[in-house]
Amino acid sequence: MNNRLAEGGRIDRSRPLTFTFNGSRFQGYEGDTLASALLANGVALTARSFKYHRPRGIFGAGVEEPATLVELLGKDACGNRPPTTVPLRDGLSAKSVNCWPSPRFDFGAVTELFARFIPAGFYYKTFKWPNWHLFEPSIRRAAGLAAAPADPPSSGHFEARNGHTDILIAGAGPAGLMAALTAGRSGARVFLADEGNEAGGALLSRKLSVDGQTALDWVAAAVAELAGMPNVVHLQNSTVWAYREHNLLCVNELDPDHPTLLERNWRVRAKQVIVATGAIERAIVFANNDRPGVMLSSAVQTYVNRYAALPGQRAVFFTNNDSAYAAAADFAAAGGSVAAIVDSRTDVPKTAKAQAEGIEILAGSVVCDVTGRGRVKSARVSDLGGGAERFIECDLLGVSGGWSPTVHLFSQSRGTLTFDETLVAFVPDVPAQKCICAGASAGKLSLQDTLQDAADKAVAALGAAGFKAAKLVAPKAEDAPYSAEPLWRVECNAKGKAFLDIQNDVTVDDVHLAIREGYSNVEHVKRYTTGGMGIDQGKTGNINIIGTVAMQQGTALPDIGTTTFRAPYTPVSFGAISGLREGSVVLPYRHTPVTKWNHERGANMYEAGARWRRPGYFPQSGENFQEAVNRECLAVRDRVGVYDGSPLGKFELKGRDVGNYLDLLYTNIMSTLSPGNGRYGLMLSEDGLILDDGVAMRLGEHRWIVSTSTGHADAMSQHMEKVLQFDHPDWEVMITTVTSQWNNATICGPRARDVLQALGTDIDLSPDAFPFMSLRDGTVAGLPARVVRVSFTGELSFEVNVAPRHMAELWDKVMAAGAGFGIEPVGSEGSHVLRVEKGFLSLGHEVDGTVDAYDLGMGWIMSKKKPDYIGKRSVEIRRAGGSVRRELVGLLPEDPDEMIPEGAPLTPGGSKQATEGLVTACVWSVVNGRWVALALLENGHSRHGEIAHVRLRSRVIPAQVTKPVFHDPDGKRLRS
Amino acid sequence: MAYNAKISRVGAMTLFDLKGKQTALAGWAGEALPPFPNTPNTSASKDEMELLFIGPDHWLLHAPLGREAELETVLTPTEAPPEISIVRISDTQTFFSITGPDAEQIISIASPLDAHLSVFPENGATFTEAFGLKALILRKRDGFSLSVEQSFGDMVEDYLERAMS
Repeated sequence: MNNRLAEGGRIDRSRPLTFTFNGSRFQGYEGDTLASALLANGVALTARSFKYHRPRGIFGAGVEEPATLVELLGKDACGNRPPTTVPLRDGLSAKSVNCWPSPRFDFGAVTELFARFIPAGFYYKTFKWPNWHLFEPSIRRAAGLAAAPADPPSSGHFEARNGHTDILIAGAGPAGLMAALTAGRSGARVFLADEGNEAGGALLSRKLSVDGQTALDWVAAAVAELAGMPNVVHLQNSTVWAYREHNLLCVNELDPDHPTLLERNWRVRAKQVIVATGAIERAIVFANNDRPGVMLSSAVQTYVNRYAALPGQRAVFFTNNDSAYAAAADFAAAGGSVAAIVDSRTDVPKTAKAQAEGIEILAGSVVCDVTGRGRVKSARVSDLGGGAERFIECDLLGVSGGWSPTVHLFSQSRGTLTFDETLVAFVPDVPAQKCICAGASAGKLSLQDTLQDAADKAVAALGAAGFKAAKLVAPKAEDAPYSAEPLWRVECNAKGKAFLDIQNDVTVDDVHLAIREGYSNVEHVKRYTTGGMGIDQGKTGNINIIGTVAMQQGTALPDIGTTTFRAPYTPVSFGAISGLREGSVVLPYRHTPVTKWNHERGANMYEAGARWRRPGYFPQSGENFQEAVNRECLAVRDRVGVYDGSPLGKFELKGRDVGNYLDLLYTNIMSTLSPGNGRYGLMLSEDGLILDDGVAMRLGEHRWIVSTSTGHADAMSQHMEKVLQFDHPDWEVMITTVTSQWNNATICGPRARDVLQALGTDIDLSPDAFPFMSLRDGTVAGLPARVVRVSFTGELSFEVNVAPRHMAELWDKVMAAGAGFGIEPVGSEGSHVLRVEKGFLSLGHEVDGTVDAYDLGMGWIMSKKKPDYIGKRSVEIRRAGGSVRRELVGLLPEDPDEMIPEGAPLTPGGSKQATEGLVTACVWSVVNGRWVALALLENGHSRHGEIAHVRLRSRVIPAQVTKPVFHDPDGKRLRS
Repeated sequence: MAYNAKISRVGAMTLFDLKGKQTALAGWAGEALPPFPNTPNTSASKDEMELLFIGPDHWLLHAPLGREAELETVLTPTEAPPEISIVRISDTQTFFSITGPDAEQIISIASPLDAHLSVFPENGATFTEAFGLKALILRKRDGFSLSVEQSFGDMVEDYLERAMS
């Protein structure tokens, strides 16, 4: 570690760590980042650039890093991480991205030879024909960046959790700590989150004092005091990455105190938010400003003071503001040689000069260019207005283009920004949510101002959150004042590329081109050039793009404005966002008590509406899908079957007005039902289309139960409540959802009554005593039950409803009692076949959001007696228009062994013209020994006997149009 | 460190859905019910029973499953007058017990509910969301009771096991 200082820094020299970078082994210390360890080892060339494959080094010291991205390997596998944010650990392995085989010798560098031919917008213009996607894979490979890891983490998991607080403070630098102390002492619930691995923010990189002690001692005392407050949650390694509506903020905790957690994402709802995220130093734009060895001044200061690493031996600092002077002084104090400070300002404040005694200051001067390709060798310096030039030898060029308050979160919250001419930066203006900026993020760029501002803002936030807090006098801090002058780019006669966005290789020339081509709005410039996009989101360069646009257009910078700040502030793992939701719970699922039995029976299970995982069919040894379904259907038609009908939606209604209410909901009359009886009905939407079908049963004079389809149960619940609460709040109707209060085993088939009898019941099952569409309460197999005679299969059917706690027992008993009658369990595929044979409608098939009851041949269900019901008027108006309707028909393919794909179009004569309908369902009918289908066909009711034509891509299938019923057309079996 | 909490699947509890005017319900049920809570998101208790405030003219009676038959006999839902609705819904929910020092952290993983004692008091009871589902959460002496629609019970158990892993 030839550039490691002998003492100082916040590294633990007693804990050396070995790591690998691009295949070479190095050593660092606990407390290092990968970037600081590389610099301490003298590694200057760390990457290649995204587009031109130019040599790049480390430019920043934190999340702002634009120049170097690495791919972490092994158990840390992760693509595109700035090394400045990667904590060093023993065994860490990383490699550069954007280069092959190495950053020193990169085949991709050949692109720089053609650089003048591939300006911004080149891809958009060139790769349009025949199809961008033809070129995209190879371009993306050439452009570099690491791929996502091929495998998930070998161990551990992510977590997402919720949090609530009175005051959320983003950032634990001086402002954040001061605000947290103020808020914490008041007793408010405080949530303090900071992206660094330790609190202190910029104080970790500087040599300042607070109240007569070192600033870091003040930080330690503040952290200790906060740790003793039970009302304070203080998280480090935790970035507040998104500011959503209603003061909901997302915090990505990278190193949770939990043995198996990889990352945790917090969704925190805060009464008040204090943004104390500091400020980010800006780059300066001049020729070849991306060469390895060009580095932010603050980064130089950080590496020297925090990590005891000297990023160069002989430095030049180039600035337009005061802060670089302290950085130069610290670099010199650490043993580095400072050749000069180049300041674009002609009048350098005395307070700045005083910090850099003994260092040559070149006021009113600029760096035009640097020499050196793999590492800076010298800086070419000239007067600001041009003229005499000199080359100053150096291997490090510290640049400081001023400071931009980190307003990202404030802006994400939709707060507005304003341009501060004194600070030469955008600062927060009008908040849109309960949010306030404090410290450097509010434009307070000296430590004393920061501390007092944070204390005052915390008191204000506490007051807004309903807490009383005494006005606090902040501790005294020693810091130099800050001043800056604009320098958006250096204009001199230099040939090299001048980068505005180092990460995306966006140059001044690119922005000029965008403007020439008409992309004058800064948002358009961003999209045309990609400036400000990418992993760093332009943290060091965005304002230079805005300044360049302003200069080119001859307008003031505030008139250009900023682009939109969007979440995430820094990259976030998808895993952290999804939290526990992976693997078996990635999609919601619902089970009935029979699920375990289904699995043991070998059922093929999948979702069949409303998240219910239901058995599709029960294959036996050697059976294929069709054979299994045929067997189940034959059992129902010839003997008996049973299916689990538990998922049907069920609602109990109570009140004096239920009858009227149901008459309004359904198209037919329900109020005339007597207790113990039920009626099938349709519900329409206001526009007269079918919402759902089901059965209404009267339990008592004022008690009813209605069933809905499985998939629409929730929607129908909302519909019923809406009608009640919005349209008829004065009606006495109370609705209780009882879908899961009742499970049912539906026993169906000619022997269903025998099976029920064998189970043992106190209910008289004779057809006269218990007719079709009635219900009886009693016991079945010794269990309290409600038995309903409805049928979805067209066969004699008993729906035996019991409480779920009894369902598994009932099921076992049904299977045992039915064994002697040849009972078979029936899956949803078999049910589908059986209902198609009967022509029973199914939502999502025949009911496709376009048809009404008349189209389905169910005009009988549209009451002529009731004065009104929901949808009545719409149906009448639409049908009075006389437009051609698609009507439900049956189809029999001329070749009985030919299956028609569901959804297939019907066209006149099978020719290539507009469709006249579609096939809604097609099944192998076990009772007919052939394929049968249902379809919606224009004027279908009057076309029975005709031949319709199914037009497929490869052939036409002729099929005879029939009535939409293929079994027991008179319904004798289901009423038996 | 891993969470210091214990999670167990309780299954069904006695639940009666009560709707109607408070006076009418109280008049029908007599002394059978705990006092009516009048503050949203709270419950009132008596003899191991809790009456939960759900919304305007809407309460839930919650008790151990063993008391279901007794309460059914007392409340006689099928004979209640038309202006009130009493429906046994014990089987509609599956309950989980979450106890221990970190129980609140488990709740924060499951639900956006602010379960801090200052906000969700000792008699706190509310319908909210857990793992994306409608859920009923009650504060208990040593933790929380969380319940979801019974058919989602296996999924929520799956989630809770993941949270504790």
